[in-house]
Amino acid sequence: MLKSKYITKLAATALGAGMLMTSLTAPVAAADLAGLKEQGFARIAIANEPPWTEVTTGGEVSGAGPDVARAVLAKLGVPDIVASISEYGAMIPGVQARRFDMVAAGLFIKPERCAAVAFSEPDLCDAESFMMKKGNPLGLKSFADIAAKGAKVGVVGGGTEEKLAIEAGVDRANVIVVPDPQSGSKMLQDGRIDVYALPVLSISDLLTKANDPNLEMFAPVEGTPIFCAGVAFRKQDTDLRDAYDAVLAEMKANGEFAAIVEPYGYSADAAMQTSREKLCGGPN
Amino acid sequence: MWDWNFVWQIIPQLADGVVITIQATVLGTIIAMIAGLGLAIARRSRNKFIRYPFGFAAEFIRGTPLLVQLYFLFYILPDLGILLSPMVAGVIGLGVHYATYTAEVYRTGIDNVSKGQWEAAKAINLSTRQTWTQIIIPQAIPPMIPALANYFISMFKETPLLAAITVLELMNQARSVANYHYKYVEPMTMVGAFFLLVSVPSVIFLRRLEKRFAPKLR
Repeated sequence: MLKSKYITKLAATALGAGMLMTSLTAPVAAADLAGLKEQGFARIAIANEPPWTEVTTGGEVSGAGPDVARAVLAKLGVPDIVASISEYGAMIPGVQARRFDMVAAGLFIKPERCAAVAFSEPDLCDAESFMMKKGNPLGLKSFADIAAKGAKVGVVGGGTEEKLAIEAGVDRANVIVVPDPQSGSKMLQDGRIDVYALPVLSISDLLTKANDPNLEMFAPVEGTPIFCAGVAFRKQDTDLRDAYDAVLAEMKANGEFAAIVEPYGYSADAAMQTSREKLCGGPN
Repeated sequence: MWDWNFVWQIIPQLADGVVITIQATVLGTIIAMIAGLGLAIARRSRNKFIRYPFGFAAEFIRGTPLLVQLYFLFYILPDLGILLSPMVAGVIGLGVHYATYTAEVYRTGIDNVSKGQWEAAKAINLSTRQTWTQIIIPQAIPPMIPALANYFISMFKETPLLAAITVLELMNQARSVANYHYKYVEPMTMVGAFFLLVSVPSVIFLRRLEKRFAPKLR
């Protein structure tokens, strides 16, 4: 008697725990347009690297990437975006694992990324640059120079610059992953790194904010192309991606796109002159 | 899901991280043992100008998170003209943080030596130095060992925090591998497995130490 009571109790507890687990793990609905509309918002990944993506001190999500995504999604009938700050390297696994519906962080379209996610048409383009002490004391003009001089380069984790540095032969111990863009300029000022590699617009933004006459920018970095970013979707979500592209194309044609990105310093023409297919090196 | 080729491919890079993780733990342990003893003695001082500041410092460090202390050592000290390398900042952070805990272990160890021992030492006219080195410390240390070892195992498990100040220890290497290949399953599992592989035997060893030294407590 006692035993059966005990078992009933145990079963009830197990059931309760099971239900709790289900409720905790439930929100993994498919990221199709109908689902997003019903939900009323899209979850996007950002990096908090102005002017690409920025969370203002008031908690507002802005930056060119989220602003473009917000405008496109509004036209698709999804009124809001909810952003999570993430490392660049964690964005693709995150979107694959449905932690976000899309990445609107200015993730550069590159063939190895095209293999993992479905990109929109390009939206934000920029060249690579270095921030360094005034006068470029080590004479660094390319990632190969950094490798040759044994200099320490700061990069953001999983960003394009980390790969460029390692591929140019910079020793891994000299590729210092900075936790966020702002700490990078601090580490440069303190002499922890010799050079900080980021796109031109990011470095310009940091230089304005640091307001330190001992720092300067070198751009474009020799041997690096102009990179263009797109919004990254889960590989299976190509319907959503295609719907997004259709609206983006309209906005590029009627000038709304330029009106959003140009105040941030991006060239709308640069994004319109290239295409996803070119940047991926094939269909995506 | 699980790719063995990828595992073999990333082992050398993770091994570099293992070396740093072990170095950080060993150096942090040495600092915690020495600074902790100093702190314990300072807190027993009869001079309140020594006792209170050290007491306050210990409470302050124990009451704030290690991560905050690491950021302080790494980002704020340079503004005061002290530029520590990431590894040095990390080891000092770990060592000093844990010194405040080991100091308590030393303190209870010392307090647990019965009062009669102090009185007996006085009665046979031993100097303060002799009392400490020949009577008190030899009796106080054995019961401390399991508690100290416990803190060193937990310090070992906290070394991944050093990744936040750019030390290329195991966690940071794994993160870098994961970011480079967009694959988290293998590197993170391997990090977990490594910590487990070291912690479990350490804990078994610790239980033995406890068994060996515990009866003397009674």
